[in-house]
Amino acid sequence: MEVTFKVYRKDPEKDGKPGRSNYTIDIPEDATVLDGLLKIRDEIDSTLAFRASCLRGYCGDCLVRVSGRARLSCVAKVTAFTQKAPEISLDPLRIVPVIKDLVFDWDAFMWNKIRAVQPWLEPKEPASDGENLIPDAAMKDLRKVMSCYYCGMCDEGCTVLPVDFNFLGPAALTKAYRFAFDPRGKETRERLKILEEPKGIWDCVHCYEADEHCPRGIEPTKRIIALRDLAFKLGITNEKVARHHKSFAASVKESGWLDEGRLAIESEGLTNIKGLMKLLPIAARAMARGKAPIPYLHPKRPGADKIKKIFEKGEQETK
Amino acid sequence: MKYAFYPGCVSRGGCPELYPSAVKVSAKLDIELEELKDVGCTGAGVLPQYLSDPINARTFAKAEAMGLPIMTICSTCQGVMSQANYRLKADPEYRTKINKEYLSEEGLEYKGTTEVKHLLWVLFEDYGIERLKSLLRKPLKGLRVSPFYGCYIRRPPEAITPTKELNRRKNYLDELIEILGAELADISGKGKCCGFPILTANEENSLAMVGKHTGEAKEKGADFMVTPCPLCHLNLDGNQPRAEAQEGKEIGLPILHLPQFLGLALGFDPGEMNLKRHIVSTQPVESKVSMLT
Ligand code: SF4
Ligand code: SF4
Ligand code: SF4
Repeated sequence: MEVTFKVYRKDPEKDGKPGRSNYTIDIPEDATVLDGLLKIRDEIDSTLAFRASCLRGYCGDCLVRVSGRARLSCVAKVTAFTQKAPEISLDPLRIVPVIKDLVFDWDAFMWNKIRAVQPWLEPKEPASDGENLIPDAAMKDLRKVMSCYYCGMCDEGCTVLPVDFNFLGPAALTKAYRFAFDPRGKETRERLKILEEPKGIWDCVHCYEADEHCPRGIEPTKRIIALRDLAFKLGITNEKVARHHKSFAASVKESGWLDEGRLAIESEGLTNIKGLMKLLPIAARAMARGKAPIPYLHPKRPGADKIKKIFEKGEQETK
Repeated sequence: MKYAFYPGCVSRGGCPELYPSAVKVSAKLDIELEELKDVGCTGAGVLPQYLSDPINARTFAKAEAMGLPIMTICSTCQGVMSQANYRLKADPEYRTKINKEYLSEEGLEYKGTTEVKHLLWVLFEDYGIERLKSLLRKPLKGLRVSPFYGCYIRRPPEAITPTKELNRRKNYLDELIEILGAELADISGKGKCCGFPILTANEENSLAMVGKHTGEAKEKGADFMVTPCPLCHLNLDGNQPRAEAQEGKEIGLPILHLPQFLGLALGFDPGEMNLKRHIVSTQPVESKVSMLT
């Protein structure tokens, strides 16, 4: 079949301006996108730059956007994108610095962030006989996470990264989970402290986009939520978030439901005058429209005492 | 047609216009609501699972005892409850543990049979679109509307879209806009996050998201945006002026709650739907609606 590949081009050694080259090639029905790219480079244009290594969906190196969607080009079939017209477009990811054509900066995209979460084990006890053995069952959950092959599909799908490229992102935070939950590791609290800094776990909007994008079913969002629940349990160190969560939890614990007026004020911190001033115009506008809930006039729900009991029990049990 | 009604805190707290409009619209549609009063907050994704799962199990047990499915009007409540319910249904051991440790003292038990449905799902899955159409008094002809789902009502799949057929849930709002006679002004971020969950942790990113979604809708010529989530509303409406300031552009896009949107097409006047209570002025919507016959 004949298909036209419309490929994003950028050459820093020429003018560095982005453009597009169109190549029409004849490929078999079952060709992958990478088959097409290789054919173009071998037969038509040897200046076309793209990445690939294993050619069979193991290494995650060949991530590109095929007709707008992030895909591993070595496993994506061309025909999946040519239903409407015999053409596909190829672009680098949405959010990364491009080096040349489809080759982008993996350091900025992922490796620097993976390094930032300290992706190594600090064992609690010295290894006996040079090995630190644990029962197989204890690794079951982590083995799933360790099957991550750093393809970056989760980062590409993330809601926050296009808004803030410095967010650590789901791939690195999933790596962090792998070590935070390793039963051999020590000082989980110290690890979490790093993750609780700005641009870390609390910047995630828990939108579950990453889970939808991960080809390995690792569910990065659920890993981030587990890290947050763990931080909640051990005591949150990010000051702003701690204030907000404490106030939220206290409100539900005491009354069964959320007191938003109290939450707004306590989140800013009662001594944070500047922060509170910032709330004033919003509060005034909301008040004028009959919208703002008034804090400390927050009635208890029937059954609030029952909720309180559940709370106390839950807090006890996780101690 | 009867539901155990879980209105959520925001529908009376931060968005007090939502609760009464949902109640009015339900009555008009003949959907009977018995409000769950003696229940707790879902946890809203803020409380950790080890606290929120038992609180939600208690809510499900209460509805189960009433023999009713639960109806929500908040995507966040819906999402958190769907996820908790999924865990409790899929894992009988976990359910037994929660029953034993948290509910038995009160004489409650959750058997795992309660359904939890957002009003949006109720319309399509229980109520029926033909029946809804027969009640429309004021099809919203000529109004352009952008959908905004928010994240919690579209993911994760095992809890929200467990079957192929239910995958359609991801499109209900788009469909509803056309059913109510309006025109769809589609936006790319309709299933993305509104930014509300990180308003405390990273306000700048949160406001950037508000600016992006509302700005895109405006560019697509939307008269307003409709959302099934009051938390999205708090950010998209309540913080729109701040997003405008941060992003250095004027937006001015009215945001309507799902029941308000339904209400207008059912013939309620904007006052009855409390449109005046929003932060971004809904005046342009009101005047367009008043010209409809
Ligand atoms: S859940 Fe968090 S990390 Fe995952 S895609 Fe959404 S914002 Fe990004
Ligand atoms: S978590 Fe999944 S999507 Fe993310 S890098 Fe690893 S394998 Fe790829
Ligand atoms: S999830 Fe939100 S709206 Fe729902 S009950 Fe909790 S705080 Fe209220």
